[in-house]
Amino acid sequence: MSDTIVKIENLVKRYKELTALDHLNIEIREGEIFGLLGPNGSGKTTAINCLLSLLNYDKGNIEIFGKKMTPTSYDIKQQIGVIMQDVAVLEELTVFENIDFFCGLYIKDKKKRKQYVQDAIEFTGLEDFVKFYPKKLSGGLLRRLNIACGIAHKPRLIILDEPTVAVDPQSRNRILEGIQELNHNGATIIYTSHYMEEVEQICTRIAIIDKGTNIAIGTKDELKKMIHNTETITIEITEPDSRILSKINSLKHVYNTAFSDGLLTVKCSGGAHNLIDVLAIFKENDISFGRVYSELPTLNDVFLEITGKEMRDTEVQ
Amino acid sequence: MFLHNLKYEFLNNIRQKESLFWLMCFPIILGTFFYMGFGKLYEKEEMFSEIPVAVTFAKEDAVFESVIGKMKNADDSLFEFRYADTDKAEKMLKKGDVFGIITVDDEISLTVISSGIEQSIIKSFLDQYKSQRQIISDISAVDPAGLTEAVKALHTETDTIKNNSPTNGNMNYYDMYFMNLITMAALFGMITGLYSAINNQGNLSAVGARKCLSPNIGFITIASSLLAGCITQLCSVILTTSFVLFILKIDLGGNILMIYLTGALGAFAGVSIGFFIGSAGRMSEAVKGAISTSVSLFCCFLSGLMVGNMKTIIEEKCPVINSINPAAIISDMLYYLTIEAGYTRYIEKAAALLIISLFFITGGFLMTRRKTYENL
Repeated sequence: MSDTIVKIENLVKRYKELTALDHLNIEIREGEIFGLLGPNGSGKTTAINCLLSLLNYDKGNIEIFGKKMTPTSYDIKQQIGVIMQDVAVLEELTVFENIDFFCGLYIKDKKKRKQYVQDAIEFTGLEDFVKFYPKKLSGGLLRRLNIACGIAHKPRLIILDEPTVAVDPQSRNRILEGIQELNHNGATIIYTSHYMEEVEQICTRIAIIDKGTNIAIGTKDELKKMIHNTETITIEITEPDSRILSKINSLKHVYNTAFSDGLLTVKCSGGAHNLIDVLAIFKENDISFGRVYSELPTLNDVFLEITGKEMRDTEVQ
Repeated sequence: MFLHNLKYEFLNNIRQKESLFWLMCFPIILGTFFYMGFGKLYEKEEMFSEIPVAVTFAKEDAVFESVIGKMKNADDSLFEFRYADTDKAEKMLKKGDVFGIITVDDEISLTVISSGIEQSIIKSFLDQYKSQRQIISDISAVDPAGLTEAVKALHTETDTIKNNSPTNGNMNYYDMYFMNLITMAALFGMITGLYSAINNQGNLSAVGARKCLSPNIGFITIASSLLAGCITQLCSVILTTSFVLFILKIDLGGNILMIYLTGALGAFAGVSIGFFIGSAGRMSEAVKGAISTSVSLFCCFLSGLMVGNMKTIIEEKCPVINSINPAAIISDMLYYLTIEAGYTRYIEKAAALLIISLFFITGGFLMTRRKTYENL
């Protein structure tokens, strides 16, 4: 097993009456892309800020690279790159100057820094924009600049807090590919998001957080195995009669059916041929149907089953 | 790291168009307006002639009589005093032979029938006299033996009025506006000081948070930002001062290098106060910016930027304000450079300004020294 690079034990953070983090426990291993998934307000960013010693906390212990993290742990900070949710660049410096400025806070050697800055520019695809000021950049390019400023010093641990918020799909894909590339190059990544698809796409291990505590942790497959649902079948039909619904419900692996807005949803637990079995009932009874979907469980299903609520329902739009 | 941060903070400062307007353009625009309003007075010889004033004595006042007697006998007097009874004085005023009537009774009062530069100068003279007279009264109440010295001091002050009168081409009354303009340019350093604080605190800005996460001692990062702010402000003060001295050709007298030094000390004071405001509390950047601008303009108002004799009024009513108002201190320093050969009073004021600056900068550092935050 890889070395533990981040260890958060029993972390408690309170804002007066509100408990933002409630005995949070997380261990992150070297080489992982570790996802912190949870709805807005679940405590992801607070956890990151406590981890980085930006926020004080009421209780708990935080270790990074095997050492206790404090605000003056400069040797630890030297090896961390942070990309915060808010874009943190100086408005009156060009793209190149911004990256050079923030890289220079870590790398003293000018020659080495020059090379690192160039690498960061190439990595984020900002070659054509080096003389642009941030206000002239699109939202996606600005996010890429934000990332370049955070990773230019080639950190061992990179923390990205919702880096794709308000980013167009093209830039989002580029950012996600970049994160995977950083990981392939040896960096351990902590990635927080409330976008389940992103977390599912890139993270090797995931912690689902709700109300300041981790309610589940594991790889995406491990998380999905924690729940009853293994397949959700959706079929477009006109009003189904109760006889058909009863037959579907009696199938071995079906545990729930529901009809709404012309869509019949069939939830299954286990079994390899559920879709064939359901469609066979339609054929036997000569019932016509429209489009058919079969979906494997998502992290939202995991969240739904564990917390009893949809992750998206809890998001602040 | 210090120099690296300094370089980029300075670049960031001098490229901020909004700040540049307030720091560099606004003082120049205001100075141009001052010049357009007052500048012709420097050119018109007739304006520099003595101002006729009627003086009527309803009651004897030896001190005032002594003062105007001395001024009347001077070769380059600012005023032409004409003694008259009330009726005659009023006739002269109505005919336009005099610009005002000074009536000496229990109180010394001024009567004018129109407003203008001459009337303002007479009023300014009387305000100054009354202010000094009050000081003498206070001294005589406490130490009657010191009355002679006080009267002597009063005469010295009237000498100052005479020596700096328009007759020798050095119109001190209007120079004060330009001195206050330089003061204002220096105190606008509050804006740069404010950004130095905001851009280095993790709970006030995203850039501040990023800096807090870097492996650098916060004090060094903040100190380099403050130095960048001071250099930016110094550029602003040099520009404004040079504009006043060399483009508008306002003769502020004294040693030009000392005028620049005064501007530099003022800039340091401005940056310090801005840094203090920026470090205090969690108000938004816009609110803090508004507070900084308001504070700097209010200080300048109290020192006479908008109303010429405001400092004199405050000296009479509540002199302690002039002692702690950085704008009043800076304009006093510039004034002493103009009127005094030595630097004794200048150094006293400079020391007071440095103490105020250090107070605010220390306060700012104490507020920013925390390493972690309760909220972000």
